[in-house]
Amino acid sequence: MLQSLIPQSPINSTDPNNSSSSMKSKRAAGDFTAGDSSSEDPSSKRASYEKPTTETDSRGDDGGEASGLRLLGLLLQCAECVAIDNLNGATDLLPEIAELSSPFGSSPERVGAYFAHALQARVVSSYLANQAIFQALDGEDRVHVIDFDIMQGLQWPGLFHILASRPKKIRSMRITGFGSSSELLESTGRRLADFASSLGLPFEFHPLEGKIGNVTDLSQLGVRPQEAIVVHWMHHCLYDVTGSDLGTLKLLTLLRPKLITTVEQDLSHGGSFLARFVEALHYYSALFDALGDGFGADSVERHMVEQQLFGCEIRNIVAVGGPKRTGEVKVERWGDELRRVGFGPVSLGGSPAAQASLLLGMFPWKGYTLVEENGCLKLGWKDLSLLTASAWRPAD
Amino acid sequence: MQSNSSNNNNLPQTSHTSTSRSSDSGEACGGGNKWASKLLSECARAISDKDSSKIHQLLWMLNELASPYGDCDQKLASYFLQALFCKATDSGQRCFKTLATVAEKSHSFDSARKLILKFQEVSPWTTFGHVASNGAILEALDGESKLHIIDISNTLCTQWPTLLEALATRNDETPRLKLTVVVTASIVKSVMKEIGQRMEKFARLMGVPFEFNVISGLNHIGELTKEGLGVREDEAVAINCVGALRRVEVDERNSVIQLLRSLSPRVVTVVEEEADFSSSRYDFVRCFEECLRFYTLYFEMLEESFAPTSNERLMLERECSRNIIRVLACDEENGGGECERRERGIQWSGRLREAFSPVGFSDDVVDDVKALLKRYKAGWALVLAQGDNHESGIYLTWKEEPVVWASAWKP
Repeated sequence: MLQSLIPQSPINSTDPNNSSSSMKSKRAAGDFTAGDSSSEDPSSKRASYEKPTTETDSRGDDGGEASGLRLLGLLLQCAECVAIDNLNGATDLLPEIAELSSPFGSSPERVGAYFAHALQARVVSSYLANQAIFQALDGEDRVHVIDFDIMQGLQWPGLFHILASRPKKIRSMRITGFGSSSELLESTGRRLADFASSLGLPFEFHPLEGKIGNVTDLSQLGVRPQEAIVVHWMHHCLYDVTGSDLGTLKLLTLLRPKLITTVEQDLSHGGSFLARFVEALHYYSALFDALGDGFGADSVERHMVEQQLFGCEIRNIVAVGGPKRTGEVKVERWGDELRRVGFGPVSLGGSPAAQASLLLGMFPWKGYTLVEENGCLKLGWKDLSLLTASAWRPAD
Repeated sequence: MQSNSSNNNNLPQTSHTSTSRSSDSGEACGGGNKWASKLLSECARAISDKDSSKIHQLLWMLNELASPYGDCDQKLASYFLQALFCKATDSGQRCFKTLATVAEKSHSFDSARKLILKFQEVSPWTTFGHVASNGAILEALDGESKLHIIDISNTLCTQWPTLLEALATRNDETPRLKLTVVVTASIVKSVMKEIGQRMEKFARLMGVPFEFNVISGLNHIGELTKEGLGVREDEAVAINCVGALRRVEVDERNSVIQLLRSLSPRVVTVVEEEADFSSSRYDFVRCFEECLRFYTLYFEMLEESFAPTSNERLMLERECSRNIIRVLACDEENGGGECERRERGIQWSGRLREAFSPVGFSDDVVDDVKALLKRYKAGWALVLAQGDNHESGIYLTWKEEPVVWASAWKP
């Protein structure tokens, strides 16, 4: 699985960064410092710091492919830890990931740097989110979580940990989970029950097939007295979670939960953090490859683009929960979003496609593809789709 | 010429004896914004006040804005956030150990050497102390035929080639030199063998009779003994401490200085960075502020000295992050790794005066240092310490802030 995630480009052999590091300077015998004073004017007794070193990469980058694989492995391991809220495990891995990566290195090292940072940020925000939950539930011994779109329920083990390690024991821990498939709900419920029992937590799971917006009566949620209610609402720009936003809001006013946690999700598939992470890693590896080919090895411009644009995007994708990070999250697939609010597509075949091809042809970069599909234009890099461009008008 | 720095933390009052023209006041880092230090200081205060909701709010904001690959503000936010996070989760010890282990694993002789040489090429931060110390050592040992230099530092012997060269080109007979290097940083220990081989080769080339020893098995410097160091009665001893004293636990510093005195050296050279993490060590907010002040300077200096896409600079920044965690998020007692509690020149002077008297740097040495500074970018200057007030030595200043202190002492 790991192998398939490494871009199949010849970057490892022809990447400008890798080649610079193999440019090891040959040192003459007796040569000690860079300012080799023994070959300079001997009368300048104390001046030996003049001669510049050759511009080799001091990261000593031999075995680039091996360390790239190791970096990838560590990133995935770390992401798995984050996905099950094992923050200590994630924190232990991050230093090594950081050491192996650098925004000024080869493509895998650069991608690794931004993902490492995003994971670090995620660890901190998970900790803070858990703290918020912990504080909100202070003094409560009966907790009822209502999850509007529970899917695999991967965020709940974290809460279980917190509650299980509290000095004041929990008397009742319930989760009411909405979902579209009763099979998935069942397996999620089983998994959560196993986990809870391994921690010695009293646990009940209540599956509800359907959407929260269709609930009209609190009794359908099985609300009991003296419970602290926590609502978890994952927004999904690509499908309708609630069925009715207005209805949901009305219900929340009735419910008056102790805490509402919300999440925005930008990629189209994989509800779990881990799946999203893997997809993003694949996508951005290709993108960084593409940039690596286009810019020079030490390009400050490329660094700025990567750090400011992609670093932020990667953080947006990896971060779950809390406020949007930059306030302007890119929606990559406008089509479904626009359909939901009542638009129909306009074909971009013919003149617009021709113009785009012409533009692409002006650049010397290799590996880009331009494909017209269903009236949309898809820009790709070595057969991975990067962007989808489409045009829409109101459907009648 | 009066110093016009507004930040008057013990800035020596004497005139500038050498000033390179500073670059125009468009700061490299974040201009007038400085949002990082504001948020960080507030967070430190909230931690000290145990105001947990405020702590979490500020950590959240810092987390949103920080990046180890951005501008100075973002970098400072990122590394200090890590330390504050460790403090809030009581994981400083563990985090520091992991970072140190990982750094050690990924360093090789080549990478360590390239790093320090690159740093010396773009900044006089370390070479300042080397040139001053070498000057003082050569003058103190002039005329001696058997020299023993005890080097307590982690500079990978980059200080010594110039000294060897000077010994070789002296008019009188070339003396024998024994160099005993005491290494404390675990990252450095693994590379000393190769360093030793190169030093021996170099000395042969210079025609200087040379002996090289490494002492790396100590848990702390207080364990040194005359016998352990191989100090012989007929040797003229010089002790060179570069960034060494700050690695001694605060309560043991005076006794270590007495230990050095007991080795009967002709001269002791001491080089340290100008910051005080020691007197405030039980006052979190004060210590934090000083840490922030010093590392802001250091990061700004790094950013202006290196190319924007420099891996060497990144590695130096990561080293800082380990030190910051060590100072701010680790307990006093169970150190586990070196202490990093710096003290200022005036504080070290106070301690050293218990066992030694100060030796001023000669005009020749001062000239050498000035000449060195001229070879770097603008912004660096040399400032002499004032005679009275128990201060001595010279300061390297960057944008008029004293950053490194060098001094020489005799029994």
